[in-house]
Amino acid sequence: NAGAGRGPGGGSSDVQWCFSQVKGAIDDDVAEADIISTVEFNHTGELLATGDKGGRVVIFQQEPESKNQPQCRGEYNVYSTFQSHEPEFDYLKSLEIEEKINKIRWLPQKNAAQFLLSTNDKTIKLWKISERDKRPEGYNLKEEDGRYRDPNTVTTLRVPIFRPMDLMVEASPRRVFANAHTYHINSIAVNSDYETYLSADDLRINLWHLEITDRSFNIVDIKPANMEELTEVITAAEFHPNQCNTFVYSSSKGTIRMCDMRASALCDKHAKMFEEPEDPNNRSFFSEIISSISDVKFSHSGRYMMTRDYLSVKIWDLNMETRPVETYQVHEYLRSKLCSLYENDCIFDKFECCWNGNDSVVMTGSYNNFFRMFDRGYRQDVTLEASRENSKPRSVLKPRKVSTGGKRKKDEISVDSLDFNKKILHTAWHPLDNIIAVATTNNLYIFQEKLN
Amino acid sequence: MLGRGVKRKWSCLEEAEVVSEARQLVLGLCLEKLQRYQAGVELSLRRSVLLINTLRQIQEEMRSDGVGSCDVHPDSCLLRDDFREDVTVTCPGCSEGESPPELPSQEANGSDQQKPPAAVSDAVNAMGYLGDLALDDIFEDIDTSMYETSDLPSAWASGSLPQSHSTAGSLQSCLMDLNELDHIMEILVVETHLVGPGLQNGFSL
Repeated sequence: NAGAGRGPGGGSSDVQWCFSQVKGAIDDDVAEADIISTVEFNHTGELLATGDKGGRVVIFQQEPESKNQPQCRGEYNVYSTFQSHEPEFDYLKSLEIEEKINKIRWLPQKNAAQFLLSTNDKTIKLWKISERDKRPEGYNLKEEDGRYRDPNTVTTLRVPIFRPMDLMVEASPRRVFANAHTYHINSIAVNSDYETYLSADDLRINLWHLEITDRSFNIVDIKPANMEELTEVITAAEFHPNQCNTFVYSSSKGTIRMCDMRASALCDKHAKMFEEPEDPNNRSFFSEIISSISDVKFSHSGRYMMTRDYLSVKIWDLNMETRPVETYQVHEYLRSKLCSLYENDCIFDKFECCWNGNDSVVMTGSYNNFFRMFDRGYRQDVTLEASRENSKPRSVLKPRKVSTGGKRKKDEISVDSLDFNKKILHTAWHPLDNIIAVATTNNLYIFQEKLN
Repeated sequence: MLGRGVKRKWSCLEEAEVVSEARQLVLGLCLEKLQRYQAGVELSLRRSVLLINTLRQIQEEMRSDGVGSCDVHPDSCLLRDDFREDVTVTCPGCSEGESPPELPSQEANGSDQQKPPAAVSDAVNAMGYLGDLALDDIFEDIDTSMYETSDLPSAWASGSLPQSHSTAGSLQSCLMDLNELDHIMEILVVETHLVGPGLQNGFSL
């Protein structure tokens, strides 16, 4: 494609992806606590956070680009690791509250420290990550090791000074937002006012102020008076990137409701409802299950939003509620396998999706450690694989193909050979560059665009 | 065949059988998944809702197709014998021309209610949002006879339940009816005994 522009986040027509790094244990025996449950770049892309089932957060920092290797963007190395959430026990229900981190959201940087929100099923925490590279030395009353000096031995007075020390990164919990959710939190989203954020569980959405932990404002409540009548739950929620009064939430029935907080205090009446009519030709017992939306993400521009359901990714124009403007099939070959996928519970898997920096390409995960990218402009798509076999430094990823017909070509893999235990549920795209983070069960892969 | 749209015309018996088999399979899976639960682990509400909606959809299809399969699922049969000895529930297919008998009045049900067998309680308990607690253990000593009154069936009759109880002859509806009764009982027990000052936030009903 001569002449095709290739800026940051350019079309996948001319982007080749290379393996950069893989983080995590090598052995196949996966410890449950190591299962990655969320991945998120910060606003500059310098920091990459992961959360896992064991309640830990690991933050990687990108090394500055070295002049020696201009072909490579900086590598990501561990910056900070901390235990965000611990398992708790709900004595009333006799049930354990999992420490698994469901979501991490970064706050934009306002001073030297970094802030992020992390949440498990019930409690959201605001963490401050700060660096310490100096320490005071030369106290009058204390020795260097901290022991107090005998005051009689102090004969002179000096001013303590800061001396450099090895960099220490500390994470400290600054706020704990608890006891506001009866059901399991599935989403948190920071408002563009950078003062408030929302948290959504299966039936309710609450609005918080970052400074106030002892109360939140309920803005959506879909719990019916009689739980017998419950047929729909909230699956994801997000704030509009520019309009601080607008947010959306998706449901298990495949609808997205957009609400305006200026209209009323309780946003039970949506301003817009996005829903595509069901295709009668594709109707099956599992129609509703596969229409359940597992993720919703606004484009960076704020003009579009993307939803992920079991088999497809849909792009919606915020001005058109009747149907999506683009639909991309992630793994249509699974449609004839829905009963098996229902049997083994895979049909309930919740895949996430993400936009690249300039909203021209979208990405989502699939099975067999495959992940898919869809170029909206060039109308092309590619299937890539995150595996240890393809992890030679800077090796270019070869596109993969699943054969659906009778004849399987060389290098293709048949549908029945797919490993449904190897699922890529979480992916993230650097906000500015062509760097992506792809989480397999317990490994984090980082791929970069091949630069010549 | 599974997963494709189902034609409504019964062009041949074979097709009807395949469809019925498919329905039974998915129905069985639904019930199995709803009954399967791990003590101490809270069920996903989303999963429970999707399973129950699928179950209801299948019931609806079976009802609108006039299906009352004589291929009785053994467990349902057992349950039916335990609780409906005074009612002859026949498959519409077996007794054509006869209008199916109405289900017994809810009042009679309420007062005759025995403790449901483990399978039903398990299914109910597994329907996360309707059976949150291991109520059997915790509330053994609580006298629930006050809930087995006509007040109960009036709540039921007010239409808050799905359509299943109006389709006599549907064995699945029998199972659902018992489940609904359990649900209501458990909700009432939970609501009355658990709402206290410290719990208002968590249990705002």
